[in-house]
Amino acid sequence: MAVAASPVPAFGAVLFRLFAIQAGWNYERMMGVGFGYAAEPMLRGLPGGRAGDRYREALARESRFFNAHPYLAGLAVGAAARAEVDGESPEKIERLRAALCGPLGSLGDRLIWAGWLPACAAIALMLVAFGARAWAVVVFLVLYNLVHVWLRIWGLRAGWREGLHVAGALAAQGLRRGSETVGPLAGLLVGAALPIAFAWQLRGEPWEAVGAGAGGAIVLAGVVRLAAPRANGMALAALLLGATSVCGLLWPW
Amino acid sequence: MSPLEAGAAVAVGTLVGLDLVSVPQMMFSRPIVAGLLGGAVVGQPLAGLAVGALLELFAMETLPVGAVRYPDWGPGSVAAGALAGAEAGGRSPAGLLAVVLVVLGTAWLGGWLMHVMRRANVASVAAWRVALDAGDARAVRRIQLEGLARDAGRAAVLTVLTLAAGQVLAGAFVSGWQAGELIARVAVVAATVGVGIWSGWRLFGQGAPAQWFVTGLGAGALVAVLWL
Repeated sequence: MAVAASPVPAFGAVLFRLFAIQAGWNYERMMGVGFGYAAEPMLRGLPGGRAGDRYREALARESRFFNAHPYLAGLAVGAAARAEVDGESPEKIERLRAALCGPLGSLGDRLIWAGWLPACAAIALMLVAFGARAWAVVVFLVLYNLVHVWLRIWGLRAGWREGLHVAGALAAQGLRRGSETVGPLAGLLVGAALPIAFAWQLRGEPWEAVGAGAGGAIVLAGVVRLAAPRANGMALAALLLGATSVCGLLWPW
Repeated sequence: MSPLEAGAAVAVGTLVGLDLVSVPQMMFSRPIVAGLLGGAVVGQPLAGLAVGALLELFAMETLPVGAVRYPDWGPGSVAAGALAGAEAGGRSPAGLLAVVLVVLGTAWLGGWLMHVMRRANVASVAAWRVALDAGDARAVRRIQLEGLARDAGRAAVLTVLTLAAGQVLAGAFVSGWQAGELIARVAVVAATVGVGIWSGWRLFGQGAPAQWFVTGLGAGALVAVLWL
């Protein structure tokens, strides 16, 4: 009970290390080594300390394969370290780590990569277009990282608090509501930002140029849609720009 | 651009490249931020921001998901911002077209180098396997540090390549461009916004977000028409 109420041990050190959880990312253990690196300060309190068998066994276990969204990995780090401190069996801890990979990955991808990040980028683009200049970037970084850093802190604390029962934290109403809301919000903002960014670039140019630009953008998007997944937008954009370059360098038109 | 400015751009590009995956993932590696930083290195942050905002539309296609190979826009955007700020062709439409082409190439190369780096990280794990499996904290720390060092090297190489290739190609484009300047500008805008539209559709074209995306497009188009 005393452990249940206790704060995360070495909270600052663990949080700091969580920011580098993917530094040693590799195809064998994915972020597993980073997981062990982040959890290590919490394991120092195990009986016997750093020289003890419990510490070494726990660190070896926590450095095995793991993959999830990096911002939410703290939830698993906190939960697994707590289970180690609580003396849970190695089988249970390994099952916990394996069980968290999928949900933390898909929730983070939906919430951040396909939601909050494009939403913040769209806001920044509109601010640049409307003349906010460098403030647009400040707003982007502050808005984005408010959620990013909060997720890391909340995840670590919730993981440590819940231990093996951490699945309940994933069902938190705020998290669920956030993942439902952020997609439509990002869709609206990205949709609005695209024509505004276009207008910002070609404002004041002749209508023929504006029409050619709009037509080119729509055709390119359509061609990428038809060509996907064999080709992506980046490749077709390079093709368009390459062809324009060859023509522009060779012929006066 | 002076050697000192180029060196500073490489240093910033290296830090920005680390941000993509290794540390701290606070999105300094997004082109809109990286471009501004690149421009700031040569004392022209807004010129860098203008290029970065365009490249940001390309980056919307990138989902940095786990084991997927994805382009790295950060170091190239720093270099592009610095080139634009230093007036190395980045502010003329033909020069901008050249710089954008170079960044497309180095962003792709960055993704490929990341794949190479991750394979090298596997070799680190293999080299330290016995110590790792024995719970040796030094092995854990060593693998993390080796990964960081490789990523820093990767980002530095990307920044240097973009600076060098961008400088040469932008110079050639500015001096050799035969067509109207507006054509280069329209092509860049069509390419970036076209990729942005596709990315938006791919992310939000299904389910509940689809109607919001279309609504946003409509509202944005209305604002754009009034503004144009």
